[in-house]
Amino acid sequence: MQEWQAMPHLVLDKISIHYDGQAAPVVERVSIDVAKGDFVVLVGRSGCGKTSLLNVAAGLVAPARGSATIGGEPITAPGSDRAVVFQNDALFPWLTARENVAFALRLRGVKPSERARRADELLALVKLDGAGDKHIWELSGGMRQRVGLARALAAEPQFLLLDEPLGALDALTRERMQTTLLDLWTASRVGVLMVTHGIEEALVLATRIIVLAPGPGRVVRNFEPGFSRRYAAGETIRAIKADPAFAAARGELTDAIFEGEAA
Amino acid sequence: MSVTSYTERPSARIDEAEGLTVPWSRPRPRRSGVSARVVSAATILAVLAIWALSARLQLVSPVFLPSPAAVWAKFILVARDGFVDATLLQHVVASLYRVFAALIAAIIIGVPVGLAIGISTVGRGIFDPLLEFLRPIPPLAYLPLIIIWFGIGEPSKILVIAIAMLAPVALSTAAGVRDVSQERINAARSLGATRIQVVRHVILPSALPSILTGLRIALGAGWSTLVAAELVAATRGLGFMIQSAAQFLVTDVVVMGILVIAIIAFGLEFIIRRIERVLIPWAGRD
Repeated sequence: MQEWQAMPHLVLDKISIHYDGQAAPVVERVSIDVAKGDFVVLVGRSGCGKTSLLNVAAGLVAPARGSATIGGEPITAPGSDRAVVFQNDALFPWLTARENVAFALRLRGVKPSERARRADELLALVKLDGAGDKHIWELSGGMRQRVGLARALAAEPQFLLLDEPLGALDALTRERMQTTLLDLWTASRVGVLMVTHGIEEALVLATRIIVLAPGPGRVVRNFEPGFSRRYAAGETIRAIKADPAFAAARGELTDAIFEGEAA
Repeated sequence: MSVTSYTERPSARIDEAEGLTVPWSRPRPRRSGVSARVVSAATILAVLAIWALSARLQLVSPVFLPSPAAVWAKFILVARDGFVDATLLQHVVASLYRVFAALIAAIIIGVPVGLAIGISTVGRGIFDPLLEFLRPIPPLAYLPLIIIWFGIGEPSKILVIAIAMLAPVALSTAAGVRDVSQERINAARSLGATRIQVVRHVILPSALPSILTGLRIALGAGWSTLVAAELVAATRGLGFMIQSAAQFLVTDVVVMGILVIAIIAFGLEFIIRRIERVLIPWAGRD
């Protein structure tokens, strides 16, 4: 038990997911282990069940078979130890940016002054200093995702579950958000499980990339690209992307994703 | 395929339309909304003018159509001296009291019922058929029954209006609840919200625009039920005033009463829109 507390793992063990009314399972016997401090990215073609797996980890979907545990405890419902950030930020438009970030604290009955202070700290962390009083509809897509990230971090989760959080952003904003994500991950040392369609994004961010193939969803490859460690060690993302090793890794990952697909 | 059916094809019509040079079919830079308001004001003035003119020319007997001036004079007179033992203000207050008492009752019952319909299958199973049964019945049809059950006092009148308001409030609430984005609910749950906290902090605020729309519809329904409710054994109220005036053929009071009802309804609509702007500034922007 002591060991788990020191190093909690988010473990999906031989998970199969079967939606009602569908003949075939979406995912079959997929195992994923995310340790605190890991940045695990799920990639794969449409229909490989990556978002379904994330939802199992979140406790939003119950697996047909297999077990999902966090720190050894079974996952049966959503919980603030695994905060989720969605593609469509899912912010609350009736609250200001600060109130959105403070939402988890409000649920726990933290005093208003204390939660405002904490929310402002988190907004500063995602580089949104001074935007606390802004309404959600006044923010750009990138700013909204930053608020979403800060809101998830406010719950003080052990794991962050990111469901294509940058999918709806333009290329430049995306790149800036990748830096923010890495900074947050380095600073907080949470475990991250992320779903993305972006191949470069996966390579830049992940400590481990899990490639899934559809029909039914299963793991076909594991990569440990290591570029995010290089960023944490001080290299810039631009320098990393310019490295020939990055191009090689991109080619290899692309091949793995499209392997077995009929041309 | 006959030739006529060929020319009936939409594409053929579009070609035709493009060939036309109708000035209003061209896209034009949009100007401010002022012009529509000017047209509306002109329309109202025109109606007033036609009314004044036909009264002046005695096209219709003054018993049937009093002049605008006569109605205005009556407005002043009734506001000052009253009609059937109450001043205009007292009639208005009596009517507004009934409508708002009914509105509060409809909110207290309708919003939780709507929540139950939107959230739980059992709730929907219980309340949906009841509301669908109640909704299409005209208030005048159940008025007699309510008088038999509850007498001719104030509660019966408020009850009739409240029943008319209940369905719009509950059904709009239910629609709002059903439209709540699942992602927002999931986000709240993953931030640690309990079921009750999800209802309180996510579902209710999300449904608020829809609930307010329901209140607006309900106020309209209640205001139109008012006159019917006041036909029976009332001693005050705009509906009662109009009814009494009609019995004595005091047409100018009837017309004045109708205009006052219209103006108040317009005012209520205006107030609700202001409330919407304050309470739900985000509506339609996310």
